[in-house]
Amino acid sequence: MREINKRGLLIVIVSLCITFPLLGGGKQEKEAEPRKIEIWHTYSDAEVKVFDEETIPAFEAAHPGIKVVSTKMPYDGLKQQVIAGVAGDAVPDLMRMDIIWVPEFAKQGALTAVSDKNEFGAIQANLLPGPMRTNYYNGKYYGLPLNTNTKVAIYNRSALTSLGAQPPKTFEELVALAERFKGPEKWGLGVGGTSTWGQLPWFWSLGGRLTDDNYTRALGYLDSSGSIEALQTMVDLNRKGLIGPSLLGAEPNTWAGIQEGNYLMIDDGPWFYSILGQEAYEKTVWEQFPKGKGGSVSVVGGENLVIFKGARHPEEAWTLMQYLLTDEPQLRMARTGLIPTTKSAGGNPELEDNELVQIYVKQLQTARPRTPHPNWEKISEAVGLAFESAYREKGTAERLLRETAQEIDGYLKD
Amino acid sequence: MQKSTNRKRVSSSRIQKGAQQWKEVIPYLLPGLFLFALFVLFPFFFNLYISFSEYNIMPGAEKPFVGFANYVKAFTDRKVGLSFRNTVLYSLVTVPGQMVLGILVAVFLNSIGRGKILFRTLYYIPVITSWIVVSLIFRYLFESGKAGLINYFALRLLGIKPISWLQNTWTANFVIWSLGIWKGIGWVMVVFLAGLQSVPKILYEAAEIDGAGFWDRFFKITLPLLQPVLFFLFVNLLIGSFNVFIQVLVITDGGPLGTTEVLLSYMYKNAFSFFEFGYASAQSVLMGIAIVAITFTTRRFFRAEVYEL
Repeated sequence: MREINKRGLLIVIVSLCITFPLLGGGKQEKEAEPRKIEIWHTYSDAEVKVFDEETIPAFEAAHPGIKVVSTKMPYDGLKQQVIAGVAGDAVPDLMRMDIIWVPEFAKQGALTAVSDKNEFGAIQANLLPGPMRTNYYNGKYYGLPLNTNTKVAIYNRSALTSLGAQPPKTFEELVALAERFKGPEKWGLGVGGTSTWGQLPWFWSLGGRLTDDNYTRALGYLDSSGSIEALQTMVDLNRKGLIGPSLLGAEPNTWAGIQEGNYLMIDDGPWFYSILGQEAYEKTVWEQFPKGKGGSVSVVGGENLVIFKGARHPEEAWTLMQYLLTDEPQLRMARTGLIPTTKSAGGNPELEDNELVQIYVKQLQTARPRTPHPNWEKISEAVGLAFESAYREKGTAERLLRETAQEIDGYLKD
Repeated sequence: MQKSTNRKRVSSSRIQKGAQQWKEVIPYLLPGLFLFALFVLFPFFFNLYISFSEYNIMPGAEKPFVGFANYVKAFTDRKVGLSFRNTVLYSLVTVPGQMVLGILVAVFLNSIGRGKILFRTLYYIPVITSWIVVSLIFRYLFESGKAGLINYFALRLLGIKPISWLQNTWTANFVIWSLGIWKGIGWVMVVFLAGLQSVPKILYEAAEIDGAGFWDRFFKITLPLLQPVLFFLFVNLLIGSFNVFIQVLVITDGGPLGTTEVLLSYMYKNAFSFFEFGYASAQSVLMGIAIVAITFTTRRFFRAEVYEL
């Protein structure tokens, strides 16, 4: 008797489990519901405001079937979070990610190749080639550049006035000014650190190279006489006390130092102004990076849009991606200091009045991307270590760069 | 004839009884076993598997078997050696540091009458605060330049020129060690205090009559009798010290020049910055073996001289 009862109960439970979802008739409702796509980004507060309150509503109004969920992610630990998402199949549909991550995630097989799409050719034709290049991996493009940036020289306004000088155009002028500026708690050059992001504008402008133009070899480039001289010049400036402690991670950091007048000059991106606001405009003057032997060469930064392989709605994600690369949203985000990546938006008269964007656009014409390679993170670590060792005088620039070039050639072949 | 069937009946009924018992017990064990298998056994064996492969995080991607390649790489990697050195140094400094200071605090608290609970709470607070929070606080305390709090007071009170604490290997390690010791004292204190309650008061009274001073009583009675507690503290702190990670990641991130990297921070970097999951797993297996080996050798060493009460 008890046995039968148990079995009966089981049957009832199982059949309820099966039939309940069907009874709801949820299927019909679902089709009428808009399809939700999620996008991850790291927009700053000012940028989020424009993106969430203007860009997305405009897109949703034009595409009634699609609803966009915008999620602001913290930059710290973001890469680890994306890795966990990829491994656990819990990624959003799209993401606006650091340009340098794209080849790495593409190699892992986490991203959709957008160059396979029909509309790709027309879109690519309107995009700046430099930022576009950062999406390339193994014969295909895995993303589209959404906004670009670089670093320019930023000078303390009152320091320049007291020296009776204009922002210098060449490196020699900068060094001469730095020597005059030098004093207790005063350094001419505020360098952001020994990482590649902090060092490359200096290294490149002074004539250094990382690899050949096709990113296949470091030997003969990173250890060329031009590179050795560039690094040695910086090491000598540091030894003379012309470079501030921010170089090796000590205080004052570049932002505090330039505002308080400890540093005559730092280099940074447009966010220096969008984050600090009015105060930054009042206290500083911007100019292109001073010309050295290699010219005025800064480093390309920015963000690319990618679609994950695990996207729930890849077609809708692609629709949003195309929309974000039209002039209207590009120009709207440019008002917050984000530099457009489309040629048509770049030529728009609205941008000509935006002096901040103009200086960065000008600097971008000669800026170089970091090596777009899946092993960039390892390359970057090796180069940063060589630079730091040189500043700490743990070896000669020549030996450090030669050894690092050999190491990097191994990563480039991988 | 009769006997053998009897015996058979007895044994079969015993089996039946045993089975019956298992049947009753298993529903209670299953949830625990299931969780243990899911969160301990499965990750353990899966980690072993990853360490022998060139692992790719994408579900369904190719994961070629590479044999011992990841292990060979770990033994030839200079940075593994450096991280190992720093981890061992961390153990050598912080385990005795925590034990000595923790025990002193415990003995002190045991001897005072008033304010015992207040001080016990105060000393225990660091133990329950988050590693991230205190690591950040230490990073700001030891900020370089004149504005760093420690530097500020050192300059004001002692006239010491500002030190770039986190930009030099040994001062940076000093900061990491200090944090480890400061945060662990409270736990040692609480465990040792509990142990102190088990020491019979008569022994102290007898010793006092014999003319033994405070330190005599401490070294000749307290420490020998609390040998098992010391062993428990030592093994736990030792294993814990091999897990040094968050403070390094937050305070120095391995810098300067990667010279404060410890095993776990380097492993983390390999896995989550360089996507070398196989290599990172191999390192974790090697570290696991090292911890097991150390625990067993110390156990043997300690067991030799346990005092009987």
